[in-house]
Amino acid sequence: MPKLYTFLKYFFVVIWACFVIAPFLWAISTSFKDFNSVTGGATYIPWLQFEPTLDGWSVLFKPGSQGGINIIGPYFNSIFVTLTASLISIVLGTLAAYALSRYTFKAGIVKNNDITFFFISQRIMPPVVLSIPFFIFLSSLGLLDSLAGLILVYIVLLMPIAVWIMVDFFNRVPREIDETALIDGCNPFQAFFKVVLPNSVPGMLVAGLFCIIFGWIDFFFAFILTFTKVQLLPVKIVALNSSITPWWSLSAAALVSVAPLIIVAFIVERYLSKGNLSGALK
Amino acid sequence: MAKIILENIAHTYEPNASNPIFALKEMSLSWADGGRYALLGPSGCGKTTMLNIMSGLVNPSHGKVFFDEREVTSMITEERNIAQVFQFPVIYGTMTVFENLAFPLKCRQFPEDQIERKVKEVAEILNLQDYLNNRAKGLTADQKQLISLGRGLVREDVAAILMDEPLTVIDPDLKFRLRRKLKEINDKYKTTLIYVTHDQNEAMTFADNIIVMDQGEVVQAGSPKDLFERPQTTFVGYFIGSPAMNLYECSASSKNEISIGSNSFKVQANINNYNSENLKLGIRSEYITVENEHTDNSLEADVIEVEDFGNYKLVTASFDSFRIKAKVKRELDIPSEKVILKLPAEHCCIYEDNKLI
Repeated sequence: MPKLYTFLKYFFVVIWACFVIAPFLWAISTSFKDFNSVTGGATYIPWLQFEPTLDGWSVLFKPGSQGGINIIGPYFNSIFVTLTASLISIVLGTLAAYALSRYTFKAGIVKNNDITFFFISQRIMPPVVLSIPFFIFLSSLGLLDSLAGLILVYIVLLMPIAVWIMVDFFNRVPREIDETALIDGCNPFQAFFKVVLPNSVPGMLVAGLFCIIFGWIDFFFAFILTFTKVQLLPVKIVALNSSITPWWSLSAAALVSVAPLIIVAFIVERYLSKGNLSGALK
Repeated sequence: MAKIILENIAHTYEPNASNPIFALKEMSLSWADGGRYALLGPSGCGKTTMLNIMSGLVNPSHGKVFFDEREVTSMITEERNIAQVFQFPVIYGTMTVFENLAFPLKCRQFPEDQIERKVKEVAEILNLQDYLNNRAKGLTADQKQLISLGRGLVREDVAAILMDEPLTVIDPDLKFRLRRKLKEINDKYKTTLIYVTHDQNEAMTFADNIIVMDQGEVVQAGSPKDLFERPQTTFVGYFIGSPAMNLYECSASSKNEISIGSNSFKVQANINNYNSENLKLGIRSEYITVENEHTDNSLEADVIEVEDFGNYKLVTASFDSFRIKAKVKRELDIPSEKVILKLPAEHCCIYEDNKLI
């Protein structure tokens, strides 16, 4: 019986791994193909079935004048906007979540859970509902087509995720820890910063991972709220598309854009496997 | 260190409700400096609320708290200088054992050399000296609880150490040693210790003074002997002692004679209100003796069961429709059918409306 169980376990893990890896293999091989190798039926093995070329990749880094799209600027824009917005969301979200977890708020019929739900509800609305208000809001501040404007909008989008994860995390941190710190002589701020916060790094890492993923992959707001001065990576990649779909450079762009998320996932995964995050995720 | 006085304290968690439920009903209590107290009562009787009021984690909705002459009712926790140990170990997981023990002193800005000396001293008392540089996270549950305890002990000047069922997670052998250690610490430093428990044996062996609570009220405060011999209410009689006190509804026939069913007994109480319909007689099974023939205050009962506990025998018998339990010496031969039991008048407690007369 344990043998069968082990067999089934590995069987499904292998199948799942194929599902996950296959698109990557497909994208990697396509990124080294040219027009003829892509349109002339399925080919898989480089040098034998098709002649690898770097054309797909070079388009990404050539300036527009040479027929390229030069993703380096948008790449760093995306990194800057995502990291800044995630960082601010985590800091504000953690503080808000701690307050919601430890103190009782009441305004009429609105209580802590309603406030938490209000934060989460920001993610329930379809993004298109928010597009016009955001557009008017940023234009009134003169922040359309700017990094600062995008950061502001992303904070609105990412903070609910941070609050949601961190409220749940703090609710699992026994209240006695804070109380003990108070008894040991901390004031409430010291109790938070000296005792609760160091224990909350795992939760903040998970919240950070989600913020980075959701911030990094956003296309919709990056597309609507920017025009020419500032561009983010997803918008730039979509701009590659033309009447003849350039599968080779799209594949290369997809690989380049997914790389940072894979790196972040590997870093956080080390903490995940240590069991440190179990409380934050379960 | 200080004497702690609770003056007309009461607490409800819903102060704005029209008919609030009180977790703690109005009471006044004082805890002598250097005393060793146990706060005993069933779960949910208000023990933890009372501790939290003393440590300042809860602000009482009524009444005042004094440390000596100083009123501290609205003083915040960190200024009260009190130590509290919770039921489950609370450790600062990111710190080492040394840092954990040093934390209360660091927060109060003690000089480094004093911190070092004191932490080492406490670590020695608690057998933690070999772990000082380990991360607190990796220790076992009972070692973690020792750290919680240690953080209470490093400060010599605390007003009191409040312990909320602190030995629940600790195995019985270590529990026994720790209780002894706590007693020693109390003798040595004269720190007031207040120990919350629902285990009567723990309370009886640990404290000089036991405060029994039920449903938000203090029902009796006194020495273990008082609680055992003269329970002030039927609740205390039932709650303290194993087996629980034998309790029977009875009626009074004169000032100091009562009858239960067809049996009548002399008692030492002065029953003024003979007509009361709510009289009870209580007697500890330890004081009931087995007799060979009828004497004063004896009754004949049918033996149901005799259990041998090694150091004593527990006889369960019935008379009329009542059950009676008697704890007797194990050498004694108990007849298998009928037994004559004597209820000595000096040990019979009479309760009117569940309160001792």
